[in-house]
Formats: sequence, C-alpha cells, structure tokens
Amino acid sequence: METLSLYVDRDSPVHRVDPISKLLYILAATAIPIILPSLLTAAVVLAISVALLLLGRIFRRVIPLISVIVFVLLTILIIQGLFRAGNVTPLFQLGSLIFYREGLLYAVRISLRVINIMLAFAILILTTKPSDLFETLVRKGLSPRIGYVLSSVLQIIPQMQNTVGTITDAQRSRGMETEGSLAVRLRAFIPLIGPVVMSSLTQTRERSIALEVRGFSAKGKKSFLNEEIQEPYHRFIRWGLLLSIILALVWRVAA
Amino acid sequence: MNSSIVVEDLYFAYNKGEEVLKGISLVFDERSTAIIGQNGAGKTTFAKLLKGLLKPDSGSISIKGIDTRNTTAAGLSRHIGLIFQNPNDQIFKSNVLDEVMFGPLNIMKEEKRARDLALGALEKVGLENELEQNPYDLTLSQRKLIAIASVLAMDTEIVIFDEPTIAQDHRGKEMIKGIIRELVGMGKLVLTIMHDMDFVAETFERTIVFSQGQVALDGSTREVFTREQLLKEAGLERPHVTRLGAKLGCSHTFLTAEEFVSFAKKCDHRGR
Amino acid sequence: MKKIIVDNLKYRYPSAQELALKGISLEIEKGQFIGVIGPNGAGKSTLCQALVGLVPHFYHGAYGGSVVVDGLEVLKSEISALALKVGLVFQNPFTQVTGAKLTVYDEVAFGLENMGLDRAEMIERIDRALTLLDIYRYKDRNPFDLSGGQMQRLAIASIIAMKPQIIVLDEPTSQLDPQGSEEVFKAVDKLKSEGMTLVMVEHKIEKIAEYADKVALLSGGELVDFDRPIRVFSRPDLERYGVAAPVYTRICRDLKIKDEKTGLYPITLEGAVAAVGSLE
Repeated sequence: METLSLYVDRDSPVHRVDPISKLLYILAATAIPIILPSLLTAAVVLAISVALLLLGRIFRRVIPLISVIVFVLLTILIIQGLFRAGNVTPLFQLGSLIFYREGLLYAVRISLRVINIMLAFAILILTTKPSDLFETLVRKGLSPRIGYVLSSVLQIIPQMQNTVGTITDAQRSRGMETEGSLAVRLRAFIPLIGPVVMSSLTQTRERSIALEVRGFSAKGKKSFLNEEIQEPYHRFIRWGLLLSIILALVWRVAA
Repeated sequence: MNSSIVVEDLYFAYNKGEEVLKGISLVFDERSTAIIGQNGAGKTTFAKLLKGLLKPDSGSISIKGIDTRNTTAAGLSRHIGLIFQNPNDQIFKSNVLDEVMFGPLNIMKEEKRARDLALGALEKVGLENELEQNPYDLTLSQRKLIAIASVLAMDTEIVIFDEPTIAQDHRGKEMIKGIIRELVGMGKLVLTIMHDMDFVAETFERTIVFSQGQVALDGSTREVFTREQLLKEAGLERPHVTRLGAKLGCSHTFLTAEEFVSFAKKCDHRGR
Repeated sequence: MKKIIVDNLKYRYPSAQELALKGISLEIEKGQFIGVIGPNGAGKSTLCQALVGLVPHFYHGAYGGSVVVDGLEVLKSEISALALKVGLVFQNPFTQVTGAKLTVYDEVAFGLENMGLDRAEMIERIDRALTLLDIYRYKDRNPFDLSGGQMQRLAIASIIAMKPQIIVLDEPTSQLDPQGSEEVFKAVDKLKSEGMTLVMVEHKIEKIAEYADKVALLSGGELVDFDRPIRVFSRPDLERYGVAAPVYTRICRDLKIKDEKTGLYPITLEGAVAAVGSLE
C-alpha cells in the first residue's frame, strides 16, 4: 500500500467534477432527507446517489465498503420490526414472529438516512484524489500546514510500516519471541513501542527541518503548480445543490 | 570450533516473480567474511535469511546443523547475532545496562550470567562507566556502541555486522576494527555487509561479492580485489591502495597502506 | 567576493552544558568548494545549521557572534528568507521527501509553491533542476520508490530549484552505497561548474581531497585549520584531531616522497602516482 486512499483511478463524469461540489453533495444528501423526512425524499436521494455511483463506474467498489453497515442496519430492522414500543399494526408474519409496520417504517427511515450519507461520502472518496481534495481546500482557505499534514499522513503511514518491520526484526534478533501464544505475542509489544515512537518522532523532526529549509514557514501567499480546473458547469452544480437545500427548507416551512 | 553456516541453492523473493536471491550456495568456515555488492544485490536480504527473520522460498540454510526453517528467529539468536544499522531501531530501555542485558536474558534467562556478559560487552566497547545512563542522553556514536554491546553480550558464535562504519569517524572505525579482531581472536565467525572497501581490505580474510542476487566472486580478500573487471561489473570500486598499486603497474594486489609502504621500501633497497 | 562570513560564532544547544561552537571565524568566496572535516561531535553539523539559520531560529539555544550569508545576517533573518540564499541537504534521503506529493515533479515544486512563484517560472525551474541532477526520467515516479542515491539527488534538485547560490551538504553520501555516493559527488561537481558555492561535511576524506578548494578542520567546537587540502592533509598532527589523512598522503609520508611542485605530500591518486614514479 503506497498511499492510504480508496481512490479509484478512472475517468468518468463524476471523476471530473470538482471536490467542492462533491462535498456540497454530501451536505445536500444528508440535510434534505432530514428537512423533508418523508420516505419518498430519502428514496429519491438514494436513487440519485446510486445513479451517480453507476455513472462513476464505482458502484461495485462500494458494496464491500458498506456491507458491514448494511448488516448492522438489517439487525436494527429486525429488532425494531419485532420489538419497538408502540408497535400496533402487524405487517407480516414469519413463523411465530410478527413484524409490525411502525417499527419497520422507523427502521427503514433510519437505514435510508445512514445509507444516503455513506453513499454520498463514497462518491467523494472513491472519485477524488486525496491530493486534489486537499489542494482545493487549501485554495479555498484551509491552512497550508493542515493541508500538508493531511496529504503527508496518507503516504507516511504506509512508509512507517517499513520502520516497524525493521524494529521488529531487530528485537527478534535479540531473542524476543513474536510467534506463539497470545501472551507471548502481547509481551512482544513492549520492546516495540519505545523504538517505534522514538523513530516516528525523530523522522518527524528531521522532516520538519527539511520543510523549513524549503520555505514552509514563508509568510505570503503560496501558489500552485497544478492548474485549477474550473469548468463553468461546476458552478452550476454547486449553486444547484445549494439551491435544492434552500428549496427544501422553504417547502418545509411553507407546508 | 564448528561454527559453520551452510547455504544450499537458496532462492528468495519478496514478491512473486521478482527474485532477490537466485540460487546462492555458500559454506562459511572460520574466516572473517565480508559480503559486498551494490544496493539491491540481495546482501541485506541474505543476512535476514541467515538470521531466520525470513525463510527461504526454496533451498536451505543450516546454522550449526539447525535448519532455519525449523525454528524461529528468536530461537536462532543464541547462535547467531545480527547488529543492525540504526541503534534507534532497537534501544528501548531507560538505562544502558538493562538495554544490554535484554538480549542475554531472552536467551539465557539467568540474571547473574546475563549481567556478567553485559558488563563484559560494555567494557569491550568502552562504555563501562555509563551503566546507569539513559541511552538517549548519550551521543549517536555511543548508542551505536550500545547496539554492538547488546549483541556481543549474547555471546553468540556467529556475529553479523550490518554496515558498522556508516557515519563513523576515524576513531569509531578503529574501535570497530579492534572489536572485530578481538572477536576473531576469540574464535567467533564474524560476517559483515559493507560498502567501505578500505575497511574490508584491512579487516576481513574472505570476501564474497553479490551481484544481482547471485554470488559473483568468492575467495580470499586479496584474490577478490585482484579481479578489477568483475568488480566493476558488479558496480564496485577497489580499495584506494589497491588502485594505487595497479596504476603504478604492480602485479601485486595491495590491501593496506602498510603493505604498500614495506613493499616500496624493499624496492628502494634494491636500488632504483 | 565573499559569500559567507562567519565571525566569532559561538553556540550552545538548549539542553547542553558545553558550547557546540566556541568562536568560529572563516570566510568563503563565491564558487569555492569547502570540505568540512573533523571527528563526530566536533560541531560540523552545528556549523551547517548555523549557515542556514536553523541555528538559532529552529533550535534556539544561546548564540553569539555573527554569520552573514550573501549579505543577509542569519540572526536577523527568517529561515524562509535564508532559504533563497543558501540550501541544506542532509544525511537521510528518506526524511527529505515531504510525503505530501505523489510524483518527483510535484515534490520539487513544493519549495517553489511556498515561494509563491507563478506556474511558468516553476515549470522552467523544475525542468532545469531535474535535468541538472539527471533524474528527469523519474519525474512521474513516486519519490518513495527511488533508490537512496536517486532520493538524495531529488533532495538536491528540490533545493536548487529555489535558486540559492550556496548549498550546504551535511554528510550527504553517508547512507548511500558506492554507486549512490558517486552519483552525488558527480552532481555536486556539476553544481560547482555552474558557479555555485558549496560547503560539504564528509568523512570520505579521499573524495574531499579530490574536490575541495579549501578544507575546514573542526575539533571540539573550534576551527583548527582552514586552508587548501594539500596543506591541511600534510599536517603531522592530523590524527591527534581525530582525522586520518587520505591513504595516498599517509603512504607518501611514510615513504618520505613529496610532490615536486608543491613540496608537500600528494593527496590524490594521480598525485601519488606521479610522485612515486614506478615500483619494480
């Protein structure tokens, strides 16, 4: 693993949209079903998200990612359907178990909201290069220091794995057992913690010196090597999303 | 003393299809041995395989008759010690003596003996007065010596040094040379992986050249450094004094400055 | 023209009892290649840090005397301002990779983005730096996939793209194999021919003898000598300061063979060959 990222390198209309629009989509996909809490709204948003995932040719990648949550939601569905306080209207029966309408509806509503949020995040994470995301945020005003920390963490953590490997080798060479019972393996942690921490600190310090001598602390506006890709339709999408949230609010208040 | 390592037709790859070691067969005897070669030639991987940290894909390694596939790295560590390059990768105790006792305790489990061995090792590296210090309060050079002492204290018959002279100054190198000579004098088998050709020529009896995962040259250090062309193909330069002798048209392969000087003086006596 | 003026520089690290530098004074001219030698702990790295402003601005501690680099006084300037005048490359190739960029090309851009340069200027400088260090063909590779020697050349490229006229290198080949070392020395030699001023700390004494115009010998925080290599390496008391002279010099000294032209012992292979003549 070279970088800690779920980005799927492809070219699709969704990939070509800018990160800010996708962030706004997450906002819209989360807020609108809350503002207009009907099942229809949630289902519509879900359909749109699925359509976007298909358009981005990443739908199949999402399935393993949300499978755990789906499993949890199914559990909630069953429990609420069977045992929720206020269950009065039976909907169907499985053997001796009676599933009630109220509980099921409640669970479905929650499930749809959770899945909507997850799918919206998936759209962002699977179709946006992390470096593009952070660069866009820095362009919009995020502190370059934070931008750097976010970008570098994704690469440096996998690199640290090499260091941990070397440290483990060094201690094994001195007779520390790492294979065997759980107790043995737990005890093996102690000689690793010190060196791993020290080595991270040392590397971080050396790296921050390297950054300093490359002008990291320079005051004054930073520039960007990459050209900012500003398609006119990006603005259209962003305003469209914001507008849809406002419309939802208006609808709610008016109704 | 039978401290032999037998390597038979060893193959190893980290990732399938990218073989790092391609059919290495070697027998180590009592001679101090240096393994040289470019980065990527497989030297460090080989050292890890000897140490049992990695297992062969095919072929075998026997340390004193024990096949490395049948035991853990920790199990092998009572016979074969490996001193890693970066002392910060292993030091974790808050005082020097405890740090150096960690190894022997792991393999001996008897405190008094471990303490004696640790004290002896610390004396060899000249740190006998720093027992209670926190290793991180000492200099990097001193910590390198602690790392060496930690392995010496395990009193293994075989000791492997991985790049011991990196970032060492002249005094540091002389001290390490002295330690290696002392270990050889004690009958131990000393191996090293190194880039410093001058140091290799001055200190090691046998030299093995690794190139692209195979053994390109193997013989006495003098024999190996005579093979200028093969060394160049392996991406290696010869020791400075060797090059001087060659440039002067001498057929003899010089390994140390002292050799060259006495040879030259004899030439003078014969009347130039 | 004096590029670097160090005047009675004294420095103590915050947690230390003793001074790391005890009053160093030296002057370096434009285009010179200065080798810095001495035992570990002599203050060589500290001197490097003082030339780029890490001492005192990063490490703090107690500071005395002055260092003026290309007209800027270090004590009164920020590290980022000094970075435009003098660059620093150090031992570990791995920690000089920022980690925030996915390609070699972008990696070199990092410092230039910090400087706020415009795109056209950045591209020109990056192309030039990568070509000079002979790593242009790796421009799309991930920096972490490079070899040690290549990574060090990337570090040098990242620094020279910022166009300092002085580069300080603190044991840059220490962690490299012979081939990587050779690559770095060749690169540094090229920089010298481009007119850069270079200060390099090295233990590979034969290399310093080959490349340096002047050698600064440090020991115990003091500047013991600052002279042409052939003079410094001829000192009979060199070993007392924890440094061994080049092999060629030691051999010629033992054989009492001097270089005819200079009257001193030779310090390079060529010099020794010429002086010794033939051996039969």
